[in-house]
Amino acid sequence: MVLIAQLVINGVLLGGVLALSALGFNIIFGVMRVVNLAHGDFVVLSAVFCAFVFAQSNINPLFLLPLTAIAGFLFGAVVHRYLLRRLPGEIAKAEASSLTLTFGLSFLLAGAGLAVFGGNYRSVPYLTGAYHVAGLSIPQARLLAFGSALVLAALLGLFLRFTAIGRAIRATSQDVEGALACGIDADRVRTISFALGTAVATAAGALMSFIYNLNPQMGVLFTINAFAIVVIGGLGNYAGTIAGAVVLGLAQSFTSYFAGATLSEAAPYVLFILVSLFLPSGILGRRAT
Amino acid sequence: MSDALLSVTDVSVAFGGVAALDCVSLEIREGEILSLIGPNGAGKTTLFNVISGVLRPQRGDVRFLGRSILGRSPHQIAQMGIGRTYQIVRPFGNLSVVDNVAVGALTHARSIGAARRAAREIVDFVGLAPLATRPASSLTLTQRKRLEVARALALRPRLLLLDEVMAGLTPSEMDTMAEFVVRLSEHGIGTVCGIEHVMRLVMRISHRIVVLDAGRCIAEGDPKAIQADPRVIEAYLGAPLAETI
Amino acid sequence: MKLWLPVAALVVALLVAAPSWLNGYYLNLLYITVLYVGLAYGWNIISGYAGYFSFGQIAFFGIGAYATGLIVVNLKWYWLLAALSGGVIACALSIPMGYVMLRLRGPFFAMGMFGLAQTSRVVITAIPATGGGSGLFLPPASDLRSIFYWTLAITVCAIALTAWIDRSAFGLRLQALREDEQVAGTLGINVTLEKMYAFALSALIPGLLGGGYAWFLTYIEPDAVFSPRLDLQSVVMAILGGVGTVWGPLVGGVLMTQIAEALWAKFPQVYLMIFGGLLVVLLIVLPRGIVPALVQRMRRTT
Repeated sequence: MVLIAQLVINGVLLGGVLALSALGFNIIFGVMRVVNLAHGDFVVLSAVFCAFVFAQSNINPLFLLPLTAIAGFLFGAVVHRYLLRRLPGEIAKAEASSLTLTFGLSFLLAGAGLAVFGGNYRSVPYLTGAYHVAGLSIPQARLLAFGSALVLAALLGLFLRFTAIGRAIRATSQDVEGALACGIDADRVRTISFALGTAVATAAGALMSFIYNLNPQMGVLFTINAFAIVVIGGLGNYAGTIAGAVVLGLAQSFTSYFAGATLSEAAPYVLFILVSLFLPSGILGRRAT
Repeated sequence: MSDALLSVTDVSVAFGGVAALDCVSLEIREGEILSLIGPNGAGKTTLFNVISGVLRPQRGDVRFLGRSILGRSPHQIAQMGIGRTYQIVRPFGNLSVVDNVAVGALTHARSIGAARRAAREIVDFVGLAPLATRPASSLTLTQRKRLEVARALALRPRLLLLDEVMAGLTPSEMDTMAEFVVRLSEHGIGTVCGIEHVMRLVMRISHRIVVLDAGRCIAEGDPKAIQADPRVIEAYLGAPLAETI
Repeated sequence: MKLWLPVAALVVALLVAAPSWLNGYYLNLLYITVLYVGLAYGWNIISGYAGYFSFGQIAFFGIGAYATGLIVVNLKWYWLLAALSGGVIACALSIPMGYVMLRLRGPFFAMGMFGLAQTSRVVITAIPATGGGSGLFLPPASDLRSIFYWTLAITVCAIALTAWIDRSAFGLRLQALREDEQVAGTLGINVTLEKMYAFALSALIPGLLGGGYAWFLTYIEPDAVFSPRLDLQSVVMAILGGVGTVWGPLVGGVLMTQIAEALWAKFPQVYLMIFGGLLVVLLIVLPRGIVPALVQRMRRTT
């Protein structure tokens, strides 16, 4: 029983952090129908940057987080305005070409990360202890990352719900043509969404630096995780993303205990293939008609 | 009943609890031009999707040439002889005009060469010959509408389903298209079922008209009877028909 | 137009003669080039012609390599026969896999295939007979020269196959379903069947190449033969050269392999940036790839 509780705690803590990164991915997908293959690279670059700064000058990543988020926002805006927007607009090819473009961007970012930070694995050796409650151990770093992720996700939720631009983003992700008909400047909403999604990724990266040992080439891992979570929770469904992240976190924590680290690697893949085959609108969504 | 090429019996389709088609029955007879009219959202395109096998109805049956085609995949239905066009034109943008049409001809052509030869004839027939080798994405809307019809013709269908081929055309282009639809029978396409909004032309070229409203079949008859039918006037036109014509 | 035939024959003849006057390093490079070109052609059928963008055809390369290795170790077959069987096994396994995966579309298929490749790697690692993560040793039996000929033969066949597809009814059907699957269906194309054929061919080619690669390495481990780098690199090559064209993967593959070889070992960061940067820039400047752009320019001047 204690073991199960421990595995649940591990899974939920992991899921909380993954959820934040996946939220950014989902905003971009929801509004633009673009699968951003460079998403994980933004996460990892931010994490490696934070670890690098921590090693140099002992600045806590929590203080760097606003900085990485702003940098991510600006970079995302540039990528959308000057690259994504210039892709040929034929509907059939648009999906493949945005996939290819972000795929190239992913290589580019990984290479730039290697050039700047080198290939070493980095993390932030901060709060390495754990709380012990009723026979359960709760790692402090994970708890901190989890708590911060929740705060940020809540802020994001408030932003999407109560600001004009946030509402425009939600409207566009539900119904592009309807949003256009209501006079929403779709192009501007797309740029802001891409920028916001990237900002969320880099903010999540700052938190990842507490719990992962990362090098600049590990972005793919986080892209896959975000994609899997978003598919599980439903594309464009922000509440589903949180649920999907917890499901994935639990799946990883349980499979790695019962089936070993190697097999647990396959958990996200198997989960998202199954979900996209059988529940195409996610675990919380209604069946597509 | 015996001369029905296609018969639809009690077909119902619902999307998430909303009925798009509610116990619709109709038949299409060999050699006629049948028009399907009704307000937006009446279920006309849904009916085409059911007949062409893109959508499976929750209830009812569709029989073509005396056999049920329910549960057959779209390509089987196409090969049996039902061709359709799409309301929002969907050309294969990166393929040439001839190749777009040749795709349909592959169902009966022995080789790709034969398919392209057959396609060329049809491209001539619909008046796109000068554009034959251009990519379909370079066509104008009017040309795309013709290409849409040409592709379906290449199947050599027994029954052709036309989904709003007039929409978006100028009045004179509409007349040309109507002329073209009437002339199809000279080229072996005997039976046509069209969804259309342009009453002037519907009344002129149809042998028979079926009116759908909110997923139900509310009237059926020749153009004169339909124009006189009070239910149609109320449900669909909301004004005396004479004024809209 | 008939000019390319003698040119192609000459190139093939030169390649066949190459092992007798090339030394180890250059023969190695030539082998890697031919291998990448072959992988890019394998990818091009399902992803270029049929439009199902895959990030996981490496699954079949890995399966081919492992099947070959296991046959040799356990049954002690002649290596060519083993490599051939490896390809056939990969192709056979692709049929049930394709049946399931091809229900997914767009990014779901792309990422699903990446997942399938990684899952295959994990499953192979978990099977005791494969030696797990510690790998599988093959008895040294074949020299680089014969591995090179095997790979060359498959790649040439893959190019010939692509040239045939490009002008065949099969190719037209694939392109139609790439453009619009639903319309292709209502125009009488059995889309499920046609994309299964394409998928099986796109599994057979890497499967056969994987058998040769197993011999090239003589020691196979999961990370080496299910390598995402090998996969993604061949995808980039095909995209740069021209997706869904006969000569795109050849041009992209030959160019990019040289860049990769020169930079990967010493300056991985530069290599990654060049690959990524070229992809981004080319996609905006020449969205269809190098070969279609060249063809267009030649048409304009003549």
